[in-house]
Amino acid sequence: MTSFQSELGGSGGDGGEGIAEELAGEQRAISIAEFFDKNKHMLGFDSGARGLVTAVKEAVDNALDATEEADVLPDIYVEIEELDDYYRLVVEDNGPGITREQVPKIFGKLLYGSRFGKREQNRGQQGIGISAAVLYSQKTSGKPAKITSKPRGGDARYFELIIDTDTNEPEIDVDRGTTWERPHGTRIELEMEGNMRARQQLHDYIEHTAVVNPHARIELREPGLDEPLKFERATDQLPAETAEIKPHPHGVELGTLKKMLAATDSYSVSGFLQEEFTRVGATTAGNVVDAFRDRQFGREMAWRIPTAGDDADVTAAVVDATANKGAEATDAFGDRVAAELDEHDAVGHGDVSRAVDAAAEAIEEEFDVRLGTTVRENAVAAAWAEVTTVRESDCYRLVDDATTKRKDDAAIEGLGRRVAGRFADAEAAEAGVGDGARDRATRDTLAEWVEWAAERTEERDGETFGATARENVVDAFWARARTVRADPPKVSALVDDRDAVARLLEAMRETDILSPPTDCLAPITAELVEAGLRKEYDADFFAACTRDAEVHGGDPFIVEAGIAYGGALDTEGSVETLRFANRVPLVYQRGACATVDVIKDINWRNYNLDQPGGSGIPNGPAVLMVHVASTNVPFTSESKDAVANVPEIEDEIELALREAARELKTYLNRQRSLKERRQKRDTLAEILPEMADKLTEVTEREPLDIDDSLARIMNNVLVERRRENGHCKLVVENNDDAGVEPEITDICSVDPGEVEGASVVEMDGEWFVRWEPSVGAGETAELVYDVDDAEFEVAVEGIAEEKLTTNT
Amino acid sequence: MSTDTDADAETDPNSERAREELIELASEFYDQFAEGDVPRMRIPTRTKSNIEYSEEKGVWVLGDRRTTRTAKTKAGAQKLLKAIYTIEFLAQQLEEGRSSTLRELYYLSESWDNEFAQFNDQDDSNGLIEDLEVVSGVTREDFHMRPEESGATLMGPLLLREQTRRGEREIHCQEDVGEGGYQIPNNPDTIEFLENDAEFILCVETGGMRDRLVENGFDEEHGCIVVHLKGQPARATRRITKRLHGELDIPVVVFTDSDPWSYRIYGSVAYGSIKSAHLSEYLATPAAQFVGIRPRDIVEYDLPTDPLSDSDINALESELDDPRFQTEFWREEIELQLDIGQKAEQQALASRGLDFVTDTYLPERLGEMGVF
Repeated sequence: MTSFQSELGGSGGDGGEGIAEELAGEQRAISIAEFFDKNKHMLGFDSGARGLVTAVKEAVDNALDATEEADVLPDIYVEIEELDDYYRLVVEDNGPGITREQVPKIFGKLLYGSRFGKREQNRGQQGIGISAAVLYSQKTSGKPAKITSKPRGGDARYFELIIDTDTNEPEIDVDRGTTWERPHGTRIELEMEGNMRARQQLHDYIEHTAVVNPHARIELREPGLDEPLKFERATDQLPAETAEIKPHPHGVELGTLKKMLAATDSYSVSGFLQEEFTRVGATTAGNVVDAFRDRQFGREMAWRIPTAGDDADVTAAVVDATANKGAEATDAFGDRVAAELDEHDAVGHGDVSRAVDAAAEAIEEEFDVRLGTTVRENAVAAAWAEVTTVRESDCYRLVDDATTKRKDDAAIEGLGRRVAGRFADAEAAEAGVGDGARDRATRDTLAEWVEWAAERTEERDGETFGATARENVVDAFWARARTVRADPPKVSALVDDRDAVARLLEAMRETDILSPPTDCLAPITAELVEAGLRKEYDADFFAACTRDAEVHGGDPFIVEAGIAYGGALDTEGSVETLRFANRVPLVYQRGACATVDVIKDINWRNYNLDQPGGSGIPNGPAVLMVHVASTNVPFTSESKDAVANVPEIEDEIELALREAARELKTYLNRQRSLKERRQKRDTLAEILPEMADKLTEVTEREPLDIDDSLARIMNNVLVERRRENGHCKLVVENNDDAGVEPEITDICSVDPGEVEGASVVEMDGEWFVRWEPSVGAGETAELVYDVDDAEFEVAVEGIAEEKLTTNT
Repeated sequence: MSTDTDADAETDPNSERAREELIELASEFYDQFAEGDVPRMRIPTRTKSNIEYSEEKGVWVLGDRRTTRTAKTKAGAQKLLKAIYTIEFLAQQLEEGRSSTLRELYYLSESWDNEFAQFNDQDDSNGLIEDLEVVSGVTREDFHMRPEESGATLMGPLLLREQTRRGEREIHCQEDVGEGGYQIPNNPDTIEFLENDAEFILCVETGGMRDRLVENGFDEEHGCIVVHLKGQPARATRRITKRLHGELDIPVVVFTDSDPWSYRIYGSVAYGSIKSAHLSEYLATPAAQFVGIRPRDIVEYDLPTDPLSDSDINALESELDDPRFQTEFWREEIELQLDIGQKAEQQALASRGLDFVTDTYLPERLGEMGVF
């Protein structure tokens, strides 16, 4: 239904086709129909009842996306018709229509959908795709999907489409011009087996969709309805357009990364990272590449420079290894290499190699000799052999520094010796293989060695090195080791090396990277959440809250909550809970959803809702709504019915609900206080006249007028008219303990002229004199104007009826 | 309502004054309404923290703290409505020269047409009568309100004249009465003391001990008027004790159990009770002395005891804060009792023999106190 999916799909470089291919690839041995059968539960088509709801959901979600992307206010028509053996589902939208080329892609290819992996908040992420509904229809009824499309200003076309389940290829059987009354849009008609047992879920879905899409007009007809269900538009404001962002390095998965590597134009890993991901610049890319090197190559262990006390002599070794270059140059070469090494505290194989190169070049220049590759290699090997003689003593020192002083010295020596032994073993094992061993180890390997050595030490020397101690030792070695300066594999080499890609992914995840930008999200906004609720629920009170964006994994998200209370809502039983992800209602698996878990954990008694036992879904006439918008809403399963329990998201859901609930509490407190005031007024209205009568009786005096006393007793605002020689005076006496700012309008039958502090408006021979006085607690305001012989009628706004006594 | 008729009621100046005070109170409420104001009644707070010692009168009286009942609140309006209904009833009762009991008032309210004016319970109506006493300065007796229970008894060498419904009677409180003694009337102000041969007045808490003293002839032997307090003494008992002390000029001693509740009995005889602090001047006998049983006696005489309960301990601790018990004697005794954690009844003295109390304990104690 959307004409944009295909174009947009390519821009991220990680086109969703990749996923489809991958999935299809994994399923190559079986037909697509089989694949569908095996997975229909997770696709939402596991029963006839549910299949119908899922098909509606997919079609409507697509329709909403298509219209919004074209900047059109959605006008969506859903019809379910009962045929003899089947149901016919028709969904129409007023979107931009689609071209012939797009038809098979959008409706036909299973799992086609650019939104897999696209970093944009979109409904389409929710469903496995309208294509699944097409396939379901085709499988159960044998009928093709019938599609009508009309682009703006163009002519309508009619297509019939089936999917070849052997090849997973869609085929257009019929393609002809037609007429359609809509100016533009798309219509899809599917026939399928099904039943209407899930009618309630269907209605919920449509109704809830209307709540979170107050800009949409939706109409539903189905056999069980006498009248179509119509949901009118509450706002003309389209949701903000979402910017698409590149994926965040923390948010991609292995398969996606592989596909991205295959598709990129970049040559180096660093370039690839900077090009294809958000929040990756040169520095971050460098950090990721280093982390990747550490995993790909391991780090090179660096040993301290042998000193006089060691049984090692780098100079002599280099001299011995160098033949036929003249004694003077050879000696100078040996000295030079030793000097280069002395620049460092500790050296790895790469340092030695660089030292030899540097020394060789200097000597070549100075002595006019040629120190070729072989000479240099020999020199490196000789120098490295000398350096590695300190392995054991250096390991001892590292272990000693990394463990507590209480360890037995012999055990420390033993552990150090054994770790050193592992380096030596590795060197021996790799001698002559490729570049040979260079005391390289990944952190995992290092940990294995330390583990092994610690176990031996425990056996032989009776000293235990606990997990923490081992970890410290590994840390010490890892910190000493150097990142290898070799170039990481090129992108082209990575594509086919699944393990290397996994290492790159790990490196990406382990590197600190700035959170993704959040402008790719379009919350409904608190205002429209409230408008949506107001539209569908006849309640007395509404509150809504939109939180600031947060990030989980690599994906930004925003949580919104809304509450409706009172009015015509059902007072019996639990409150109604509405769950949404990216503006799509979640209908099934309520119990598995993080939103419901959060609602249950909040103590709603704090917010004046009834909650038996202090936990669980609260009771009462309320609707609680939660919307999670994200570029990647984490669901518990592929059918995408329940938000997974991600702590960051749960925290935000709780904060959003609590924020809205605070308003509810204030409202309920105010209601309660007004109710108490009403009760008090009713009681006092009964007691006080009795009291006055009794007093009159006991004292044998005149009957009493107690109106003013009553107003004072009720803490009321008393508005009283006093007229004295041509002045008209309204006295506003505030007996409450809070200030009031009423709007007082005196409707006067005579033109009062200009009135100080008031506005005067004439309407049909009556003059509306309006004041907006501010009267503090316990204070009195007087509103005076000059007028003779007039009729008055006073209206007071801005003071609750319960608190107002007018005596005019 | 009682059908008793007080022969002199029509002309009794006291009851006329009482009626006027009540009507005056109602007029105040009336005026407040008439001025567009909120009717209210200011009443001195009758709590432990609002009683103070009056040097001048030698008794504990109500302090300056007041609570205001206003018709602004539901409860306040209801209280005032009850007060006005009660005023009407009392005024009528006084006019007709009749009387009634506190309990009758409570039941009578059931017949009032406005259910907000009806009393919730007996405490509610008792409290209201006390409020009216405080505010109007007229005693309950002058409203012709009687307690349900008749007063306690006294026994001793005293000749008095009582105005009864059947005219004046002269009664000697040893010779003209049976073992039970002379029944103190509800309003002891109708009694005139004629002659006496009394050395002192002994107020006894329990009936058992009072009977023991009478049986052992303690009153005759020592010229003692034995007043039975019957637990927390009724107003009439306290009033007659005060009058005996004042008019006969003989010492008063109080003999009770050794527990916090008994000390309060002594307190109400000597200092006035908190609830009727507004009447202390009229009811309290500040010169009354405490004989025992003191916690010290428990130790000294090694009396059989019961352990203090939690509520006993709380009551004792509360007495340590009670302004009426701020003397060295009481602090020492109460602290001692809290230390030993025991209490004893008067009858515990019987563990030393039935005559121990009359032959040994009281003579020793009264000797120490300078009464003998």
